[in-house]
Amino acid sequence: MTPAGVQEAVDAAFRGEWGRVLATLIRRTGDWDLAEECAQEAFAEALRRWPLDGVPERPGAWLSTVAGNRAIDRLRRRVRERELMDAVGREQMTESGAGEVISEPPEESGEIPDDRLRLIFTCCHPALPMEGRVALTLRTLAGLTTAEISRAFLVPEATMAKRLTRTKAKIAAAGIPYRVPPAHLLPERLAGVLAVLYLMFNEGYSASSGPDLIRAGLCGEAIRLARGLRQLMPQEPEVTGALALMLLHHARLDGRVGAEGELIPLEEQDRGRWDAGEIGEGLSLLDGALRRRAVGPYQLQAAIAACHARAARAADTDWREIAGLYALLERLMPSPVVLLNRAVAVAMSGDVEAGLALVDELSAGGRLERYHLLEATRADLLRRRGDHPAAAAAYERALGLAPSSAERLYLLRRLREVRDAEQP
Amino acid sequence: MNYLLFICSGGDYSADDVELLQRECPRWVEEMDGRGVRLLGRQLDDPETAVTVRVRDGETLLSDGPFAESKEFVAGFDVLRCQDLDEAIEVAAKHPVSWFREIEIRPFREGLEVGEEALAFGRGEDAGADPYCLMLCLDGIPAAPEVEESVMREGRAWSEDLRARGVQVLAHPLQHKDAATTVRVRGGETLVSDGPFVETKEFIGGIAFIRCAGRQAAIEIAAAHPLARHHMVEVRPFLTE
Repeated sequence: MTPAGVQEAVDAAFRGEWGRVLATLIRRTGDWDLAEECAQEAFAEALRRWPLDGVPERPGAWLSTVAGNRAIDRLRRRVRERELMDAVGREQMTESGAGEVISEPPEESGEIPDDRLRLIFTCCHPALPMEGRVALTLRTLAGLTTAEISRAFLVPEATMAKRLTRTKAKIAAAGIPYRVPPAHLLPERLAGVLAVLYLMFNEGYSASSGPDLIRAGLCGEAIRLARGLRQLMPQEPEVTGALALMLLHHARLDGRVGAEGELIPLEEQDRGRWDAGEIGEGLSLLDGALRRRAVGPYQLQAAIAACHARAARAADTDWREIAGLYALLERLMPSPVVLLNRAVAVAMSGDVEAGLALVDELSAGGRLERYHLLEATRADLLRRRGDHPAAAAAYERALGLAPSSAERLYLLRRLREVRDAEQP
Repeated sequence: MNYLLFICSGGDYSADDVELLQRECPRWVEEMDGRGVRLLGRQLDDPETAVTVRVRDGETLLSDGPFAESKEFVAGFDVLRCQDLDEAIEVAAKHPVSWFREIEIRPFREGLEVGEEALAFGRGEDAGADPYCLMLCLDGIPAAPEVEESVMREGRAWSEDLRARGVQVLAHPLQHKDAATTVRVRGGETLVSDGPFVETKEFIGGIAFIRCAGRQAAIEIAAAHPLARHHMVEVRPFLTE
């Protein structure tokens, strides 16, 4: 086999097997750092051995065995060192020997959950800091290096390394169990896992242009993790819903930023640039999930994204349906941002006045003060009503609050348009 | 694993809330004792009764009130023995105080032993002496290794001496505050967050429950702990029947 061919096989094994090898090793040793080191050594060993011996038939099993043997060697060495220390009169160590540590514990039930499920539920445990959950999921399940994660989150590598260390330390010190949560905790904990994946996706999505391409890679990782989770939990419609949601958004990734890096609003996007393959997959996943008749926030958000994806032209969008879906979503997770989106849908379905009334209601509540999209939405609705001076004033307020240059460029364009419209 | 629950309080409760707490807290104790997850627990006296002890240049300095200036304060402790953090979270979420305020769950360092004396103390048996809690504070910034080593050594000697004299009923170091988890229940939903109930520069790194002859004796015992020289020790009486 050519060196390039072997490198390719190892890369493929890394993408496909890293999470599984590591997850099993953590279960068997209970030691996250040891497991990570041994998994890395197994992949290094593959690079040395596969050119000579050929790529094994089941690369994953080969890697797991090699990594497991490394772990046994290291644990035995630790025990021997302890025995030596005992021999020179240091205090007695009572921990069990390597043979016991590494032995496969019998499963409690007949069902054997994939170790990757244990791993993702542990990484996304609510007692861990949110930033740590995202980083540890990317490190352990997606196999990103600390350097890659630190670049994706725009922090120094040392900061990210410390974040990972602290998160792992808390798992051990606080006694966070390495398991799939029991049935009564599952809905809540699964929502927590999906929140981590969706946050990862949005982190990439909100920065998906030009110099931020590394961050855009987060979208791909989040989708890959969601695919993996769906394979492991095919019966959970919210998992499928979350995957469908990400695919439907991801399909529009290329169409939403213009040549200057400015954000292109949905209604002006060239729909030919949307990824038809991803849309098709997203729509069919969503249909499958909805048929299980256990609707949740991710399925509803995916259904809204599907309304946009199905419309061949912006004018064909079924805004009445979207407004109805937002109303349902508001019931499941009441939030001012959801209400703001409903206001847009209501206005777009023909009732601009009712949409503006909802926006006024929101600003009277004061909960979205300093949120640029509140003013941007008000401005857009005023523009649609033809109230250009008021629209211009709202665009100006939104500009003062907008966090990214892509959004500022879009708002500036709109501001110019309404000002021009004012000129006689 | 062994965990310490910091039952946190602060602010005013309505008359209805007080009634609910008085009714539900004993039920929680009964349930958790029955399950064998709660080993002991007691309520502290009001924070106004606290005194914080520092020793600087050989001189004992006292200041009134708890070590941390904050609206919220520790109102009591429970010592748990649980399978894992999930069980501790479940136990904390059933405690009625978590429905109004919050409860911090902090793991003990390994090796906690809860003897018959500690259990009796938990039942409010004080053998004619006054029960005090010493909260040993740290700032978590590692000192020079030889300083850390001497603090540990002196701390152990302090503890052994108190135990030999029958003064100490339970004393053990806690895991760092980074291992803390805070639990609140709102609208029937358990809200779990990373970290201690209140972020302060200094935090409780260990606790000692003692029985001695009054406040002055408790202050002297606190002042003899090495952490009183390096950081501080809060001394607070437990409520008695």
